[in-house]
Parts: sequence; structure tokens; C-alpha cells
Amino acid sequence: MDNEIPLPPPRRIRHRSPAKSTNPSTAVSSFYRAGRLSRFDDRSSQPSSDPALFSSDDIPASGLENYHATVSGAGRKRRYRGTWWGEQVADPKRKRAEFREKRNFDSGVWMGSDEPGSESLLTSEDGSNWGEDLRKTVLDPRPTGLAAPPSMDSGSVLLNPAAAFQRTEESEAQRFARVVVGQCLEKGQEHIDLGGFQLGSLPPGLLQPLKHLTKLPSFTEPPATENAFTSLQPFLRIYLPNNSLSALPNDVFELNNLRVLSLRSNKFTEIPPAIGRLTDLEVLNLSVNRLTYLPWELLKLIQQGKLNHVISRPNPFHPIEEAQIETWHCKPEPDSEPEEEPEPEPQPTTNSTLPKMQLPLRIHLQLTPPPSLQLGPDTEPNPVWAPILVATGPTNTMDMDGKPVQPTPYNRPSETTSKISNAPSLRELALRAVSKLPYLDQTTDQELADFPPLIVPLLQRAREVRLAGGQTCSVCGREYVLPRTEWMEWWDISPHESGVQLRRCNGMLLRPLPFRRFGCSLSCVPSV
Amino acid sequence: MSGPTSEYVTLVSRDGFEFIIPRNVACVSGTIRRMLDPSSKFSEGLTGRCVLDEFPGMVLEKVCEYLCYNDKHKNDINVPDMDIPPELCLELLMAADYLDV
Repeated sequence: MDNEIPLPPPRRIRHRSPAKSTNPSTAVSSFYRAGRLSRFDDRSSQPSSDPALFSSDDIPASGLENYHATVSGAGRKRRYRGTWWGEQVADPKRKRAEFREKRNFDSGVWMGSDEPGSESLLTSEDGSNWGEDLRKTVLDPRPTGLAAPPSMDSGSVLLNPAAAFQRTEESEAQRFARVVVGQCLEKGQEHIDLGGFQLGSLPPGLLQPLKHLTKLPSFTEPPATENAFTSLQPFLRIYLPNNSLSALPNDVFELNNLRVLSLRSNKFTEIPPAIGRLTDLEVLNLSVNRLTYLPWELLKLIQQGKLNHVISRPNPFHPIEEAQIETWHCKPEPDSEPEEEPEPEPQPTTNSTLPKMQLPLRIHLQLTPPPSLQLGPDTEPNPVWAPILVATGPTNTMDMDGKPVQPTPYNRPSETTSKISNAPSLRELALRAVSKLPYLDQTTDQELADFPPLIVPLLQRAREVRLAGGQTCSVCGREYVLPRTEWMEWWDISPHESGVQLRRCNGMLLRPLPFRRFGCSLSCVPSV
Repeated sequence: MSGPTSEYVTLVSRDGFEFIIPRNVACVSGTIRRMLDPSSKFSEGLTGRCVLDEFPGMVLEKVCEYLCYNDKHKNDINVPDMDIPPELCLELLMAADYLDV
């Protein structure tokens, strides 16, 4: 290893005095070029040899109008622009740049490649988005500090909200969000902060390119060391706090590598079950919303996925004391004394952490074997860590149109019970077939209106489900369109609620949270 | 083969195909059950022959297949999916709405 040929020393980079750097438009355009080049030039694919040089390229003002002007630096060529292993060239000027500047003057010659659209040919599938994002990123004169709250924009949005909402195109805040996302993509930043933008909704396609986000390798010291080689897999974090969001676009749920998602202080009334597709999620913040229940799929992420930190309070959750309970899985005690467990720490500490829980209903953890960490995780879910099912609510059934069954004089309970069948309805089967049709997700409401009005709501439902990436039955795991059963389950996930994993101890007060669960057929009901 | 008490009923499509299926299977559909209800004195109830003018034979065949499938898996826990050809799914959706299945 010692006789290895050392890397060549970093050569000094020549800084030419830029001739026209005072011109602001040049600055903007050179910034634009720098952005484009740093984005599209993948360093690994850069040729090791220097790019070709032309003598005229180096002359700062070689435009047509300076044809007869004497140029001082003519004939001097730059020899070197950077090291072959990717050291940054401090001078953003490149040969291509000079060419671009010349193009600002009308030469009278029009070429096909001058169309702006031709740039997108360089990029891959979502090239048009890229170009759009980058142009906005670069031409936006605002300071490029990440997540600077758009004070000016939010003010203008607040001043004329009607105008902002009437416009079919994006609001200022949404445009700014696009700028921020574009910057993160360009710089390979894995931390996307869109907090406090007064976003009413996320524009579709805003977060989609983050799926392909790759970190850029960092080159700080010229001699590459061992730890210069780090994973380029991003640890993707999306922060959307302090907005007024009430729905998430479906492209969020396609970010398979999303690790941290914060929806704190928004206006969500429910979290779609599609969140179960974010299997890499580790931290989820749902506090200060309008949630009355959580999706049952979150539990699966806790049990089988990597989710280990759910911040769900405060939220106006359905209190278990007021809810109808069908089955208790942990015995509630009407404020009784913990007699058989001589635990040293149980009551006062839990009371002090929960000053509000002076309710008649207290559920304490009762473990028949003493809790120990030696309990193998392979035998059964460890009651010290794993979520505990506390209670199950009554099951509501839906009819074949997916509407809740109402006890009307026309469907007497005897009749409905007699015709109960575990097989899926023909409507459901046909809708499953519909949802597998290609182009369903591209049909518009106008096209759907041509269908008979009876099935339009069903088709819309199938399209929604398709756009959300499909639904899986929480009992049998099958894909479905219309749920037939629905019930609440109360689970205690307190070890996962605080950032530090507190293990449960015997006699601890459980703080159950409501989780809503759907079944695809009448046989998919809570197992007792 | 026909009559108010017969074990089998006949479903007739618009283009004249006839499907003879057990009465209890046909009664999975609420619409057909009400047609065949003897107390309602519909002609279908008296003859045991339902003419479903709305459906071509291709759709009615699939509907009958579904009715048998439903009856077969009435009490099963893990019901396998029935195969629905994509070109029929919209018509079957209409048929399902009409027949209340």
C-alpha cells in the first residue's frame, strides 16, 4: 500500500478576472448556468480529460459588436479547470457559459436548438419538471437560504386570499415550496423543510421527484480518505409543520425511502390508510391536528416496520370513556387499588405525568409473567414494547354500495342477517376488475359523467382507491375497493410515543389511542 | 321445470339465452328474489321464468356464475376471487346495481 502512486496534488486554479461580472443580468444567467451544469453534470460520468477549448471562447467580449475591438486577453488559454477526481472549480465560468452569453445578442440566426424545450431532451423521464423547477429555482431573485419563510408571500396571500384561491395556477406559497424542493434536489439535501408556508394544499407532483433524490458526495479534503465514501442513499426527512393542509397528495406515499414525516399543526381530520406504504418511516409527528382516530395501518408500521416514534398528541381523539366498547382485552378497573403488584414506582409517577386523566376509567397493565427483556421477540410480541390491544369497538357494516347500513323499515334486521354472505358482492368484484383497468387514473370527471349515473360514484371511488395506490383489507390482506366492515380498536403504543423508548412496567397506566380498521367483506370482522 | 314451487328457475337474457339455476342460488339477488316471491303474484313468481331484458347473454352468464360462486362460498372464511374479464366489468357493475348483488 505504501508504494501506491499518490494522487496528484491539487493544482492551483486560475481565477481570471471576469470581464463582465458587474452586469447583473450576466450574474443571473451565469448562476443559471452554474445550476444547470452542476445538476446535469454527473461528476462520475465526467470525462477525465479536459473539455475542448476554442480560442474564441476565452475572449470575454467576442460578440459581433465587439468584432473590431481590441481584446486584451486574446490568445490566452486556460489550461486547467479542476482535478480529475472532482474538485470543485471555484470559478463558475465555463466555456459553455461564454457561448450562452453571446447568445443574448441577437445574431439574426435562428437555430432549432434555441427552443427552450429542447433542453429537456437532456434529462430523463421527468425532464420537463426538472427544467421547470430549476428555472424557478434560479430565476427567483429571493435569497436562497433554505426554508426562509416567505414573509412577503404569505403577507400577500393573506391580503387577498380570494384572489389566491381563484387562480387556477399555483399560489405564491406553492411556487415557493417548489423552489425549496428544487433546491433540495439540486443540492442533494435530504432535509426538506416546508414549514410555515401557509400551504393550503400541496400541489400534485411537488414531492414526486424526491423519490429519486440522491445525495451528492462531499469533497472537503483533496486526499480522499476512507470516510469520504458514504452511502448516497438519502435519509429523507419532510417537514410540513404550521401549514393548513387537510389532505396529503398521493405522491407522498410513493416515497418509499421517507424516514421522517412531520405534519404537526395542520388541519388533518384523518390520515389515509395509504400511509402503511411508507415502510421505511421511523418518525411520524401528527400532533396539533384535528384527528379523531388514527389509521390502523400505523400499527403495522410499528409492529413490522421501522416506525418507532409516533407523536400523536394533542389531538381531539375519540375518548375511550365515551366510546361504545364491544370487547375489553385489558380489564378496566374503576379506579381500584393495585393490590397484588407491589411495584415501587407505579401510581404517583403515572399520575404526575398525566394530570388530566382523573377519569373513572383506568386500565393498568397486568402481566402474568414478570416483564423481562429476555422475552424472546420471536416467541410472541413482547408486552414490554409491543402495542397492546386494549379494547375493540362495535363493528359497523356497510352495504354493497359502501354506505353504512341504516336500520330502515325496509331492511329489517332479520332480512339482512338472513342474506349475509361471506362472498364479496358482484359490485365489489366488478370494481376490483375496474380498478385494474389501465387509464382509470387518467379519466376525468367529465368522462365519468358519460357513464350511467348509478355507477358514477362507484367508479369515482375506484379511481380514488387506485390513485391512493390501492387498499388492502386489514384482516385478510386482499385488495379491495369498498369496505364492508369498519370498527375501532384501542391500542396502547406508549413505548413508541416518546422519543426515548420507555419500556412498560407492571401496573402502568395504559393510554389507549383509537385506530380505525376496515374489512373487505362481512367475514372480515374482529377476531375474538 | 317451472312453477312456483320448482327447485329451479330460468333466467332469460335479451338475446334469448336461458340459464337454469337453483332457486336458492337465484335468490341471492334481491331483485330476483322479489320477482319470484309467490306472494307478490308477479308472473315470474307463477311461472318461475325471469326475462331479464336488460342483459345480453354474455353478461347474464357471468351473473349466473357469480350467483353460484356467492352461494358456494357463503360460509367460507377465505373466499377466493372470482375472475372478471375487464371488458365486462362495467356492464357487470350495472347488472350488480340492478340485481342488488
